Amino acid sequence: MTAPSSLTTRPTIEGRKGSRRRRPANRGPARWILSAPLLVFLALFVAFPIVYGVQSALTSKTLLDPTPTWVGLGNFGAVLTDAGFWHSALFTLLYTVVVTGFELAFGFGLALLFDKDFPGKKFLLSAVILPIMIAPALMGIMFRLLLNSNIGLLPGFLHSIGVDVPLLGAGTVVPMLMGLDVLQWTPFTFLLFHAALQSVPGELHEAAQLDRANYPRFVVSILIPLMVPTIFIAGFLRAIDAFRTFDTINVLTSGGPGDNTTTLSIYIYKILSAGNFGTASAAALIVALIMLPLVPVVVRRITRGAV
Amino acid sequence: MSYPPVTLKRRKPNVWWRSVVIGLIALVINLPLVNALITSLKTDAAIGLSPFSFDGGLTLEHFTAILGGSGYNFLGFLANSAQISLGSVALIMVIAVPASYAIVRLGFGGSWLLQIITSLRLVPAMFFAIPFFLIFSSLGAYDTIVGLVLANAFINLPLALLIICGTLRELPVEIEEASTIDGAGPFRSLFSIVLPLLAPGLVAVGILVFVFSWSDYLFAVILSASNAVPVTVGAAFFVTSAGIAWGNLAAVTVVSVIIPLSFAFFAQRYLVRGLSAGAIK
Repeated sequence: MTAPSSLTTRPTIEGRKGSRRRRPANRGPARWILSAPLLVFLALFVAFPIVYGVQSALTSKTLLDPTPTWVGLGNFGAVLTDAGFWHSALFTLLYTVVVTGFELAFGFGLALLFDKDFPGKKFLLSAVILPIMIAPALMGIMFRLLLNSNIGLLPGFLHSIGVDVPLLGAGTVVPMLMGLDVLQWTPFTFLLFHAALQSVPGELHEAAQLDRANYPRFVVSILIPLMVPTIFIAGFLRAIDAFRTFDTINVLTSGGPGDNTTTLSIYIYKILSAGNFGTASAAALIVALIMLPLVPVVVRRITRGAV
Repeated sequence: MSYPPVTLKRRKPNVWWRSVVIGLIALVINLPLVNALITSLKTDAAIGLSPFSFDGGLTLEHFTAILGGSGYNFLGFLANSAQISLGSVALIMVIAVPASYAIVRLGFGGSWLLQIITSLRLVPAMFFAIPFFLIFSSLGAYDTIVGLVLANAFINLPLALLIICGTLRELPVEIEEASTIDGAGPFRSLFSIVLPLLAPGLVAVGILVFVFSWSDYLFAVILSASNAVPVTVGAAFFVTSAGIAWGNLAAVTVVSVIIPLSFAFFAQRYLVRGLSAGAIK
């Protein structure tokens, strides 16, 4: 419950908060028993891997030399002085900013189009959000079909109007990858905006009409300010996911040509595939630390209304 | 002389343009899928000739090729994906349902527990994939279905907990209080009263976890090699093999996508509610 709960303050929610305080407190054993599976799972798959990951980041464990030797912060130094790391960090940042921007703008525009009734609305809503359900790796393969110079629909169309560019070549591959991300995840921002717009009270439309505000004015002066919390959360969620993009790029270019499309995730994956576990863990830890400042902001918004 | 009944209803504005514009947008958004579907139905001759050629009409030969065997292990990949996804759904239900009840109704862990778990979803998955790989390798869980079930349950647990806790929070607590007065303990309340009321939320969680586990590529590519390979990774095998059979590749993606899609379509209303409630993918 993100945007809707922030836009409509239903008195019942306050009432429930009251009833939450009446919660019986003498159920000690039951709550531990019910939480036991979760706690065991968290210990095994979160606490242990985090400790293990930090530990291996501090050692020189490789495929060829599997006995870990303590190297302290050496791996971190190796990553931070690697030009490839900074190159992929810059590319990841650029990728994140561009796709998030387009996805917010397109998602908002599409949500505005859906804000009135029209024939076939239900079916079109289903059709528009379809890509969210498609595995990004499979989406990547579909893009290969779409963009292949010999059999692809898009190059075929461009050829017929006299443009012959290899779409996955060095000059065009980055916009193509960004386009793929925008195509797949605009439906996600749309869905958040659509849900939020539905909870905007109709009186606001009427009031705006009485004041003779035209539609663009209404959107800019009333809707967008109301939607700011949703815009923020949608932007954060998309940025966090775009920042760790791996599937589509690995399927389409494996980070190439050269290092052109190497995101941080692919950079780490390359180190891991080469068998340098210590360096890979250190790089992963650095990326996780980069993300850390964003986490509390997003988490507080997301968990609101759940507990 | 009779007058037509006076109506105060204003004439409905003509809204067909909206349907047309959105229809076109929907087509563009789904162009990769539509293109793959069309390619998978064309003959190899037509595919090779031009993207606009339909020589030889429509054919199901690519689907029979990939599903009938002939050197591909596509059915094996499909079976792996199904086992991994269903296993993740089952494991998540066992972990998340009782824990949500403890968190929301019995105040376990305050709001902290859920916040910490949610933040797990925001840490790059690559960070966990490396220790998983090292640990699974030494425990013999590398390249097994069980290993991938555990990894996918881990990655989808925050979303599941969020949705179930959110749904539980919306249920009126008075019903449970009544059952407590009648002498039911927390376990009895959970199983006889809360679970049936929670069903729609659980359907949403089940579908989302199924679809996202089916979509997983990162853990699959790191934690599987040959025995436990799911379709997301297996489909890419068709790309790198010498001389790509485009028709078969298209059919592979179409089948791999259609299964979770039809599943999701079937329960759309639960899904949209779940997605906008969880507000995180």
